[in-house]
Amino acid sequence: MNRITRTLAAVAMIAAIATPAFAQAKGYPSRTIECYAPSGAGGGWDLTIRTVAKTLTETGLVKVAMPVENKAGGGGAVFLTALQSMKKKDNVLTVYSPPLLLINLNGTTPFSYKDTTPLARLITDFGAFVVRKDSKYTSITQVMADIKVNPTSVKIGGNSSAGSMDHIQFLVVAQAAGVKGLKQVQYIAFQDNAGAAQLLGGHIDLLTTGLGDVRGLVESGDLRVLASTAPTRPDFGIGKDVPTCREQGIDADFLNWRGIFGPPQMPDYAVKFWRDALGKMVKTPEWQKACQTNGWVQNYADQPDFEKFLAAQNTASKNILEELGMAK
Amino acid sequence: MNESLAQLFLGFQVALTPINILWTTLGGVLGTIIGMLPGLGPATGVAVLLPLTFKMGPVGAMITMAGVYYGAMFGGSRASILLNTPGDGAAIASCFDGYPMTQKGRAEAALAISAVASFIGGMIANVAMVFIAVPMARFSLKFGPAEYTLLMLFALVATAAMSKEKMLLGFVGMIFGLMIATIGLDGLTGVNRFTFGVLELMGGVDFLIIIIGIYALGEVFKSFKTVHDPSYKMQTKFGKIRFTREDWKRSWPAILRATPLGFFIGALPGAGGTMAALMAYNNEKSLSRHPEEFGKGAVEGLAAPEAANNASSVGALIPMMTLGIPGSGTTAVMLGALLMLGLQPGPLLFTKQPEVAWGMIASMFIGNFILLFINMPMASVLVRVLSVPAKVLYPLILGLAFIGTYAITNSVVDFFILILFGLIGIFLDKTKIPTSPLILGGIVGSTMETSFRQALMLSDGSPKIFYGSPITIVLIALTLFSVAWPLAGNAIKKARAARAA
Repeated sequence: MNRITRTLAAVAMIAAIATPAFAQAKGYPSRTIECYAPSGAGGGWDLTIRTVAKTLTETGLVKVAMPVENKAGGGGAVFLTALQSMKKKDNVLTVYSPPLLLINLNGTTPFSYKDTTPLARLITDFGAFVVRKDSKYTSITQVMADIKVNPTSVKIGGNSSAGSMDHIQFLVVAQAAGVKGLKQVQYIAFQDNAGAAQLLGGHIDLLTTGLGDVRGLVESGDLRVLASTAPTRPDFGIGKDVPTCREQGIDADFLNWRGIFGPPQMPDYAVKFWRDALGKMVKTPEWQKACQTNGWVQNYADQPDFEKFLAAQNTASKNILEELGMAK
Repeated sequence: MNESLAQLFLGFQVALTPINILWTTLGGVLGTIIGMLPGLGPATGVAVLLPLTFKMGPVGAMITMAGVYYGAMFGGSRASILLNTPGDGAAIASCFDGYPMTQKGRAEAALAISAVASFIGGMIANVAMVFIAVPMARFSLKFGPAEYTLLMLFALVATAAMSKEKMLLGFVGMIFGLMIATIGLDGLTGVNRFTFGVLELMGGVDFLIIIIGIYALGEVFKSFKTVHDPSYKMQTKFGKIRFTREDWKRSWPAILRATPLGFFIGALPGAGGTMAALMAYNNEKSLSRHPEEFGKGAVEGLAAPEAANNASSVGALIPMMTLGIPGSGTTAVMLGALLMLGLQPGPLLFTKQPEVAWGMIASMFIGNFILLFINMPMASVLVRVLSVPAKVLYPLILGLAFIGTYAITNSVVDFFILILFGLIGIFLDKTKIPTSPLILGGIVGSTMETSFRQALMLSDGSPKIFYGSPITIVLIALTLFSVAWPLAGNAIKKARAARAA
């Protein structure tokens, strides 16, 4: 056997061994991609993952089906647990936002963002502080002034549980406005997005929520947005006409980022595929249009940047929760 | 009012196009089937439809989804009547007198009256939707945490007190249901309660699993000994799906009373069809001159909840359509669909997209007719399930119960909860503890508790909030009355018996 044949044999052998891996990477994705919304149908997470699945399949970036399933509970914690049993799977995608960090820091779940595979940050929505049209408040600074005098004088409601997003975004702003004793600020958590109805009925004074969640009632004039938590006004959607906290002299913002995640230890070929697919997706006109209608600010970040961002956000949230005495 | 009629006319122009009639029929039939299967409720049905709605467009999507919603109310009672297994929470009350009617060999009449009651309830609610949707929505906003607490307390107490002589047992059941409702993540503080480190319990115990466990599994566990009993009789001869003049005479006043109640409860965000149906049943029983016939196949005890749950499914659309606020799990999904289709739900939907809003309302009138005509022949097929031998039927029910449970949360932990509640079902049967207060407690318990705490937070701890508004005072009066009425009835009966002796 001469050297050439030996080399050929070796090459053939390596090729034979390596083929399955190549085939898997090359033909990927060959089976259905399971997409999960960690909340009930109709919420922000649900809307995001469904829009992503729809855009990816409609533009042909993904050729297989991407059905979306809802796994609600515990402000996202129930699905985060389920995700742990999907370790190393290459066909699972989900969506998360700041509660992913908060539910871990406030002790709801032992799992953190480190028990997922972050793939890309896609969009940012902002928090909004909303009052009824006949409210005496016309700016967020007036609210803060009243809270400084008597922390329980303003009844604040939100749609996420205490220590999660709607609560924290208000406290971040309150802290920057110089409110002392954040623990005394009264926050009433409502379930099933009942907050808007409670505000309309005059049962609470102020609702802290997502800017996109109250669009219909703001457009009709039933509710007024005192301030958004955007750093600067976005140039479209309802955020365009809403003053930011910074404009009103409070140096704080809160980003309700949303990103796509895979299960822990997602295989490399799958991670590569989804980073690539999502990177291409955000440039498509279909995605641009979806963001426009939903009032989402595009804020794409690829995996390395996204991971750095998550680490920084996690530290910042931890500080706030510690100050509140809600960190575990 | 004329304006509403003009808009409704426009809606009919939309709804009567062939494609939209097709969507109405499709939604209604799909809903009926989903409603019949235990575990699959309208919310799941509508969620399954979500991806298809991109192709249908907003009008088609809303018409189909609404069809699934009220179709499920038609279908939910089928299994309640024939198998004592409610297909959905809203159909529990239909078991109470529907199944006894079947046992008496009157399944055909039960199926017929429930379809007609659903139809009338739905139609009247549709008319109400056209004319009073906006004032109704504004009124429902007056319900804050304190009002919700008292409303749920009233529903619970009335259901527990319904069992008259066994009132105490009714309250035992209620407390047990409330205890179950404390399991899971506390929404106000984010603290886990009674989850024992089982993360699947964090979302709480789904009430549908409790229902499937107690009814479907309980029914199987109770009867497996008698399966080979030769005295077990199957129905082999079937009549036409039709009810008697006497049935109708007893049912129509019940239907007319239950419809406005169901419509109103449905329009309150978060209350829902189960509460509406149970309250309608309680109401009918306390008004009846023959309360002793209830639970033994009283036809008005079936007609009332059936009319109420259909009316409530129409009422639940009101907060969604007029304010863009979800009134129930199902309408939350419908809101999501509107957003996905690029529409903005909210008060301006009626003016900006009248073809969607009014097209859907008009389609509900058509859909009710279609469902009535579909349900009658379908019932004559379904009723033949009674001729299936028990040894074939019960394993099937068992299988369906497990599939239905898995469909709710896809979690294996729920199988154990299901079996546990099956055993609890036997226990409840032996001890004669009524199941309806338990189930209602499980459904409204956590909302009632959070509402109670929210109310106290709003009032800075003062209990005054619970009697500070006219609505709260009315609700307190109704609660007291619901306990006093059966007690007074018993006392009078005793006094009469004493005098006669």
